Amino acid sequence: MRDALYGFRNIVTKELLHILRDPTTLVFALLIPVLQLVLFGYAIDFDVRHVRTVVVDMDRSQASREYIARLQNTQYLDIASYLPTTDQAEQALRRNETYVAVIIPPDFGRRYGTARPPEVHVLLDGSNSQVAGAAMNALQNPPDLSAPNAVDARLNVLYNPANRTQVFTIPGLVCVLMQLVTVSLTSFSLVRERELGTLEQLMVSPVGRLGLMLGKIAPYSLLAMIELVAVFYLGRLIFDVQIVGSFLLLSALAVPFVLAALAMGLFISTVAQNQAQAMQMTMLTTMPAILLSGYIAPRETLPGPLYLLSDLFPVTHFIQISRAIAVRGAGLMDVLPSVGALILLTVLLILASTARFQKSVG
Amino acid sequence: MNAIEMNELTRRFGDFTAVDALTLTVPKGTIFGFLGPNGSGKTTCIRMLCGLLQPTAGTARVNGHDIVRDAEAVKRSIGYMNQAFSLYRDLTVDENLSFFGGIYGLQGEHLRRRKEEVIALVGIENYRRRRSGQLSGGWKQRLALAAALIHEPDLVFLDEPTAGIDPVARRELWDLLFDLAGAGKTLFVTTHYMDEAERCNEIAYIYLSRLMVQGTPNTLKALPEVSPAGTRRIAVATAQPAQALVLLKRQPFALDATLVEAEIHLLLPEKTEEGAVPAALREGGIADAAIRPITPSLEDVFVTLTRRLANQ
Repeated sequence: MRDALYGFRNIVTKELLHILRDPTTLVFALLIPVLQLVLFGYAIDFDVRHVRTVVVDMDRSQASREYIARLQNTQYLDIASYLPTTDQAEQALRRNETYVAVIIPPDFGRRYGTARPPEVHVLLDGSNSQVAGAAMNALQNPPDLSAPNAVDARLNVLYNPANRTQVFTIPGLVCVLMQLVTVSLTSFSLVRERELGTLEQLMVSPVGRLGLMLGKIAPYSLLAMIELVAVFYLGRLIFDVQIVGSFLLLSALAVPFVLAALAMGLFISTVAQNQAQAMQMTMLTTMPAILLSGYIAPRETLPGPLYLLSDLFPVTHFIQISRAIAVRGAGLMDVLPSVGALILLTVLLILASTARFQKSVG
Repeated sequence: MNAIEMNELTRRFGDFTAVDALTLTVPKGTIFGFLGPNGSGKTTCIRMLCGLLQPTAGTARVNGHDIVRDAEAVKRSIGYMNQAFSLYRDLTVDENLSFFGGIYGLQGEHLRRRKEEVIALVGIENYRRRRSGQLSGGWKQRLALAAALIHEPDLVFLDEPTAGIDPVARRELWDLLFDLAGAGKTLFVTTHYMDEAERCNEIAYIYLSRLMVQGTPNTLKALPEVSPAGTRRIAVATAQPAQALVLLKRQPFALDATLVEAEIHLLLPEKTEEGAVPAALREGGIADAAIRPITPSLEDVFVTLTRRLANQ
């Protein structure tokens, strides 16, 4: 026993010294769970409330206004705006500007409380199954109306009418997994060269900083694109999740996503001092990709600062695109803001990496 | 024009001055030995000259380019070989040379021709398809030299190029360096090996971040601090050099005593009697001492100068 434990104390001392010499790594490792618990404990609220709703009020009577106020009072629905036509309401749904559209017919006030209750048409976005569930709840168990059947709410679930969870999860999961892979592809690239000493040899050469950054990203972007297309196909094969819109468009719009994620990895590589730190920082991006991106709970439930933070992750924007095209059959114009955000992120991250990476040491 | 001109070149890290007001000139076509103990500021100085590190004060020109304003022009005009092997270990010899040629702007036929030239120069033909990580230490350094030369720089910085390689490989690498100097290249070399320092045309010795002395090996050996008037230097060879050193250091006539390659180099007043040294040794039980007069080696020069400064 004594022999088996020989040297134990010396090893402990040595390990403690290592920790004292490089406290950053340890502090980081211990801080990650604390930080993430605080962030995500707040962020994740599975009790979905305040679902964004638009109203097309064709009646504009006292009765219709009261009905709208009652819907708002349920707290499940949040009346964001009023639109003049049903067409515009449908477009808002397709563009993910709203999850629910309540269409009040012109005879609402006349028929309210009569034997033939007014028919209210409700359009629901089924691509987010949780949100759809909450909205259905609010509308089918109507709030304190004068009579139990005063209003006949006819629900029409657009997109994913069967309300299959996988139609909701798979197009998001693909995005989350792809960000994890792509970020880790590049996050080690510069630190590894720093540790091997080859970076110094590059720095004494006339190689351009931007050339170095883009050269690091380019080969991986092709690999990541191929994988992304393959994973989408796999989702279709295994889980029968059909892509309603154009697969070509989805693949094309994956380019800015993949570039943004690779640029994020590269940025990590310019910040990290060694490979262990690069690993930690990559892990740090994992949880937000899952919890803040809208993959699980809609982003609207996030408190303000976290909502802004989630904008910094490429996956947040690509999930919007992916669900819009794959589930709602959206076109390019419908997802333009998300595409713009991805391009902006890519450019900013590459510029930031280039600025951070100086061709000098010390 | 000089290959390198440093003027009061200084670099501080916080309170620590790594390079202190260095003023040095390196003429073209020389093998310039940049010597000094570990931590004396040699690598920091080279990094500044290569444009990797900004000086805190002072200026320097490398191949006529200012190292701060024209750092990129400096980089194009120099070769750099690090003490640690810093090529890609997972690439072959050929692929490494193609890559480094490429980032210096060589392409097509020009790149192919330069690759053949440097491969022939360092004699690495037989290994060109081998991964560089699998080469032995000596071949790694030859490859690193080939990569540093591929873009035909006039000036090459070699930071301890022979550290950790065997004596034969070391000799062969120096033969290559002589060939290069013969072809008109300027070589700026750091080393801890005194035999390598002896081969340099000119030497600068750095101690505690400052330039201590500069000159040809012969001028340095003739410095009055090293060989004061009225003294002479002898070598004492014995089977027990360590004991002999302890004995001799205690003698009143020993001005300086150092062990150099199993011999004791002893500095004594000129008028010391011939028999004094053997007598002192015999008294301590050492009878086999052979004594001959010597001129100081470079090691004597640096040990003497360093001690003088350390004692001040």
